[in-house]
Amino acid sequence: MAMTKSEVRAFFTPYLRAEYPAPSASPTASCGRGAPESTLFVSLTGLRAWAKLHGLPEREAMARLLYFNIWPERFRRNFGLFSAQDMARLLRSRILVLGCGGLGGHAAELLARMGAGFLRLADNDVFDESNLNRQRFCTESALGRPKALVLRQALADVASHLDVEAVQLEADEHNLPDLLRGVDVALDCLDTIAAKTALERACLAAGVPFVHGSVLRDEGFAYVNGGPTPRLAELYPQGQSGDELAEARREGVGTLAPAAVACLMVRLCLRIVLAPPSESSGAGAETDGAGAEEVAGVEEADGTEAGGAPCPCARPQVQESASASQESAAGGASAGNPASGYQPAGNMPAGNLPAGHGPQVLSPLYHLDMSVPELERFFWE
Amino acid sequence: MGIYDLAAFASKEFVMHLTVKLSTTLRDHVPGYNPEAGLQLAMPEGSSAEQLARHLNLPLQDIKIVMVNGRQRKVDDLLRDGDRIAFFPAVGGG
Repeated sequence: MAMTKSEVRAFFTPYLRAEYPAPSASPTASCGRGAPESTLFVSLTGLRAWAKLHGLPEREAMARLLYFNIWPERFRRNFGLFSAQDMARLLRSRILVLGCGGLGGHAAELLARMGAGFLRLADNDVFDESNLNRQRFCTESALGRPKALVLRQALADVASHLDVEAVQLEADEHNLPDLLRGVDVALDCLDTIAAKTALERACLAAGVPFVHGSVLRDEGFAYVNGGPTPRLAELYPQGQSGDELAEARREGVGTLAPAAVACLMVRLCLRIVLAPPSESSGAGAETDGAGAEEVAGVEEADGTEAGGAPCPCARPQVQESASASQESAAGGASAGNPASGYQPAGNMPAGNLPAGHGPQVLSPLYHLDMSVPELERFFWE
Repeated sequence: MGIYDLAAFASKEFVMHLTVKLSTTLRDHVPGYNPEAGLQLAMPEGSSAEQLARHLNLPLQDIKIVMVNGRQRKVDDLLRDGDRIAFFPAVGGG
């Protein structure tokens, strides 16, 4: 059922929760032409009705409506912090959270509330009483239950549009390639140096940017690395012995450090998820999501608003995919250049480093000390 | 040369003034450690990070990462006057 832009906005009239006027300084804020357009914030009920009408998953319906300046009310307080394009990218992002304890629980919740579209949660452990001081979804009623499953259930109540895959297994070098398949970025919320090092290696081999997090007492580390050089092996050339690990597991981990480091990790994750494709790809600003599909359920913009011409807001995928292939054919990006094939959000085959996510995606090593508190940056050689 | 002249001579020619920050479990070995200020101390010129750690009674096997002026260094690298050194154990919890 195709709708014009006006019809789409009219559809949401009964579901309108707030309307923000277009910025006066930017008369073409919405689509680069025509009259200024307000931003509508619409209810979950309305979004579900529109998604059902067009046979779309809720998160994809949300992403497409953003191009019409129609935002989910649930993201109204994201408005001004994220552009519509950012929110669409986030809704189409696919993120692996490996480890569902102190870091993983907080990181998963932050990503769910922020607007991520897909999370793969992996952990083989169950909640224990000693987790109650710091692990986000560890509750007394959850004791003894598998962490990954508890998180999936809890997140379904936070964000029903979010696609969550819970995997109960312990990551190792054999299953890491499968865990990384189809994700845009991986968050290291594991609890041993050996497992973290293995994940970084597997990430870089698969072309998946790696976001490290670690905690001890009131302190923690975080960094993001898009490769090609693994950094944890440089930080810990001697690794960690079994005795050292056993001793570390008796050490304290406070309530604050996991929450704060998870915030840092999610911020670093956004650098990947929101990064535009590199200019050399010729892919323009958006190739996210639907590939060469049309925006389901939406016809070209109203003639009255867009002068009869296709509106770039309404048809981003079609136009920019075409633009990418034209530039590629003209030699703008060679076939062997990973920058030419940027397709995040699930369409990215494992082992294909997305454009713009190369060696330049390397943050400093952040050291957070919540006892002061203090955030310090260390730089790689 | 009086004693005060000797002290002045030593402070100018043979002593490095260092700032040292300790992380987590390494703090247990320095009673009264203030995480905000760290440690201000002097070491003979030409001292290494390892010698500094020994001077502080830090267990060398627990020191996994040595940062000097914001960059990773080896434990036997020599220090310079004014350096800021940070010692870390393995920080591997999740």
